[in-house]
Amino acid sequence: MSDALTGSLSQLPLVDLLKMLAAGGQSGHLGLSSGLDHGDLFLLKGDLVHAECDIHLGEPAFARLVAWPSGQFRFEPQVPPPARTIDKPLERLLAESARAASEREAIRKVVPNMEVVPRLVRKAPGSSVTIEAQDWEMLALLNGQSTAAELARERKADELDFARALYRLKLLGLVELAAPQVAVPAQRPLAGPGFFTLLTTAVAGALGPLAEIIVDDAVEELGFTRATFPRDAVAALAERISGEIREPEKRVRFQQTMLQLLGSQRQQAA
Amino acid sequence: MEKGLEQIGGLPCVGGSFVCDNRGDVIVSSDPAVLATVTMSTIGREVGLAFLALESASRPATRIDFVYDSWRLLAQDMGDAVFFVVCQPNVDMAIVRMTVDVVIAGWRKDSAAQKRLQQRRTERASLASPAALDQGSWSSWVTFASGIQAPGG
Repeated sequence: MSDALTGSLSQLPLVDLLKMLAAGGQSGHLGLSSGLDHGDLFLLKGDLVHAECDIHLGEPAFARLVAWPSGQFRFEPQVPPPARTIDKPLERLLAESARAASEREAIRKVVPNMEVVPRLVRKAPGSSVTIEAQDWEMLALLNGQSTAAELARERKADELDFARALYRLKLLGLVELAAPQVAVPAQRPLAGPGFFTLLTTAVAGALGPLAEIIVDDAVEELGFTRATFPRDAVAALAERISGEIREPEKRVRFQQTMLQLLGSQRQQAA
Repeated sequence: MEKGLEQIGGLPCVGGSFVCDNRGDVIVSSDPAVLATVTMSTIGREVGLAFLALESASRPATRIDFVYDSWRLLAQDMGDAVFFVVCQPNVDMAIVRMTVDVVIAGWRKDSAAQKRLQQRRTERASLASPAALDQGSWSSWVTFASGIQAPGG
């Protein structure tokens, strides 16, 4: 175990690390981790012979691991591979991964992330349009509301494959990519200082000079301040304060005043 | 009393209201569209007994708020009767409760309303009898009452 080589992929990228191990004709297990993700690569006399990442094995697993921008590695020499899932020479695998990285970067410039909402452009980009059959199926999915990630899930497609198709359609001028619509919570109308003047007067009539304090306490108990108190919670506030009024006559009079106030507020709102 | 029901009926998201005596008979009603008279009577009798049961269990309540998916029913105990308000689920119940308080306070000062209530006055306790309850309810009541009388038993 003391022979293990450990380090950070941000300091020594996986491609360079593999080239170094291959050049030395190394055999052993290269364990990779990035957050909760783990991966395993096995070398035999300088050749990469096995890769595992999540449920993926072989070249697909290697393609995923080589795309990690950061993480930790640990190489333990002389650990035998559990299986042989890769036959291609390492140089070829690295060349393919470099091409894939370039492609991903090109796609990323056009499809920045999978949260964009793809939709058909209103105007055809030319007098005739030629698309591949697989892209037609994708066009049929577009509803102008679902994000690219949602559409990929609906189609049970790999996100990269889906992004690649979007990239093609965007370059053809057939789709545009919009930022997702974020639902902005509707702002609740506020009760306002005028309401609190009327309320305090009514509370003073029922409970005397401590009205200001009683109102502030009740407002705070409901989780607000006078400045943030919403109009739709005014009835709850009035009811809470009415519970403080012990004399039935005064309580009912206060309730009547508040109900009249609420009624006029409703009419104004209507 | 009808004016009080009109006041309640004018509130947003309120579908109607009615008052039942302790036997469950309807004293006054705005004829809520969703409830037949016989249903109002059943509700009135059962809720009246529920108030009695709560009081007997030393957990007196003056209000019960029944919340369902598509409607909501506020039951306000008046002692000699129960005041019911039928609402939509999204009602501002604070407004309804305060309005009910104001309406009941008005009825207390209204001699005609008092007369109507007195004519139908029945002690709830007298309704907890084998003659007033079906066999299952009476058995339950006996079990419940014996538990109250023998605490810790």
